[in-house]
Amino acid sequence: MESRVLKPVLAVYTLLFILFLYAPFFVLAILSFQSGPEGGPQFPIIEWSTYWYRHIFGMVPPSRVAPLPLGEALFRSLTLAFMTMVTSTVLGVMSAQAFRRKFKGSGLAFYLIVLGMMVPGVLTGLGVSLLANNILGIERHWWSTGFVTHVVYTFPFAFLVMLAILNRFDASVEEASWSLGVSPARTFRKVTFPLIFPGVLSAMLFAFTLSYDEFSRTLFASGRDQTLPLAIYGTFSVEIHPNVFAFGVLTTVFSFALLSVYAILMTLSVRRAKKVAMQEDIA
Amino acid sequence: MAQGMNSQQPVFRLEGVSKSYGSVTALRDITLSVNGNEYISVLGPSGSGKSVLLRVIAGFDVPDSGRVVLEGRDITDVPAHERGIGFVFQNFALFPHLTVFENVAFGLRNGKVPVAAPDVEQRVKDMISLVGLAGMEGRGVHQISGGQKQRVALARTLVMAPRLVLLDEPLGALDANLRHRMRNELRAIREKLGVTFMHVTGSETEALAMGDRVVVLDHGRIAQFARPDQVYGQPASPSVAHFLNRYNIFEGELSGKRFTGPFGMIDAASVTPADKPACAIRYDRMKVEEEGTPGEGPAISASFVASEYLGSSVMYFFEAADGRVIEVEHHLSLGQPQSFEPKRRYRLRWKPEDAIVFGRG
Repeated sequence: MESRVLKPVLAVYTLLFILFLYAPFFVLAILSFQSGPEGGPQFPIIEWSTYWYRHIFGMVPPSRVAPLPLGEALFRSLTLAFMTMVTSTVLGVMSAQAFRRKFKGSGLAFYLIVLGMMVPGVLTGLGVSLLANNILGIERHWWSTGFVTHVVYTFPFAFLVMLAILNRFDASVEEASWSLGVSPARTFRKVTFPLIFPGVLSAMLFAFTLSYDEFSRTLFASGRDQTLPLAIYGTFSVEIHPNVFAFGVLTTVFSFALLSVYAILMTLSVRRAKKVAMQEDIA
Repeated sequence: MAQGMNSQQPVFRLEGVSKSYGSVTALRDITLSVNGNEYISVLGPSGSGKSVLLRVIAGFDVPDSGRVVLEGRDITDVPAHERGIGFVFQNFALFPHLTVFENVAFGLRNGKVPVAAPDVEQRVKDMISLVGLAGMEGRGVHQISGGQKQRVALARTLVMAPRLVLLDEPLGALDANLRHRMRNELRAIREKLGVTFMHVTGSETEALAMGDRVVVLDHGRIAQFARPDQVYGQPASPSVAHFLNRYNIFEGELSGKRFTGPFGMIDAASVTPADKPACAIRYDRMKVEEEGTPGEGPAISASFVASEYLGSSVMYFFEAADGRVIEVEHHLSLGQPQSFEPKRRYRLRWKPEDAIVFGRG
């Protein structure tokens, strides 16, 4: 009875959700093929072209549209994201490992860590900038204050991911390893880490992506040299050109390519395991 | 191996070991001495502290008080990986990312003292064939059956040549058929290696069948530590008799050597010290008679409920006036099974000397 009403409502809701999720991207993707350099970021498409893609790579004659300041900003963002990813994941794994046993003040410590992801970003960024300038008297850089801010922001995510993974982890394999005379440190390296590695990968992915497109904290905390999101935002303040859209499409395609490779590898390994299992059954 | 030589020497001792978790006391003042080359089974219902006992010995948990002594050395504060005590888990706890061979080789390859690669190869191969897994070395542990996993878990532990191996309900995860076969194999493997096994189980048949001696745990205390036939024939307390699942237990009053139960008054030849007075009679020591048959000795009347055929014997279930179920076992080697009418009353009789009387003597 109720499903007669509920189902269509849910269907419409889902459709709307998907629409809002993907429609902006499709609009941008279409507009990235606008002709250039005179075509703007709006419909109609004057003429289909790959001008803006070539523009990104500097393969078109100079025009009034300045090339995107990608090179250094991209390098900074990738480096910062990588540094953040490594630091946050290491910290996240270690602290989640510590939380496997209740210790004095573990409840308080938990909330203090998780608070890092709840404090408004602008406040954190502003706070770090004031702290650095007025109290510590150090210069702000993307690799110093910016980096610390990114770690503070992404560490709780890595921590929570690892906490969930370790919650489901069966500790008896570790005990088995100890009882075989293997030290706890080596047990972690040889047993625990390989088994939680998928979780570590997710934590890394989280930390990397959060850091890579972080804006509000970085705005205040990173000083003079801009990261990619700041650099791109900077070009908006003058005038928006479809080259930004083209860049967005390229990064998305790059991400999809990575995910596809991952998916293909997973499918292959699952299929191989299944094949082996089937041969066992026949034999 | 000089098996006979050290068989009477204690390989391992617990002295007054206690352990609680919060307000729950898991072990109370456990003192226990185990010889070399011995198979000890530890029997107890769930919550009796039997797993905690193993964890304390293995070094996974630290006792609140008391000492753990292995081969004359106090190891109470020695971490698990430096004890040299093997542990076999109920869920096997195999390393899922390693093959059968790598699982068995794990301790040799990653231990404190490195073992040369050809040596590892040889010892692992020998152990794998000892447990009957030759040819499966390259398989992942997801590609083998439950019984094979159990063997890998055993081989992985035994290849380290421990002096003591703790087995936490090692057969619990196997189906009944396999469990029976593995029982014999466990014993055979142990005898071949001359290691001491300490095997925790909740199954009284398993405990009695496997142990050279049986430790019966009750609420964190050792209720009895004796040979299986002693435990079976002379349970040390009503609760031990209860775990054995072979005794009808009647509560009652004891004054001097006179026990008064639901069946009337009997004279006890001896009284086994226990907190509460009770009288236990083995299932197979009770005889069923028609109501009104003249006879000697104590008896209780009860109405017949049902019977269960077990192959070599038949179990009869009766219900006494107070609603308690009384079980009688009839061995078929002693004669054809009798047939009884449901709901009809019969007299269940036993010889006075077959009754074990407990109480504050």
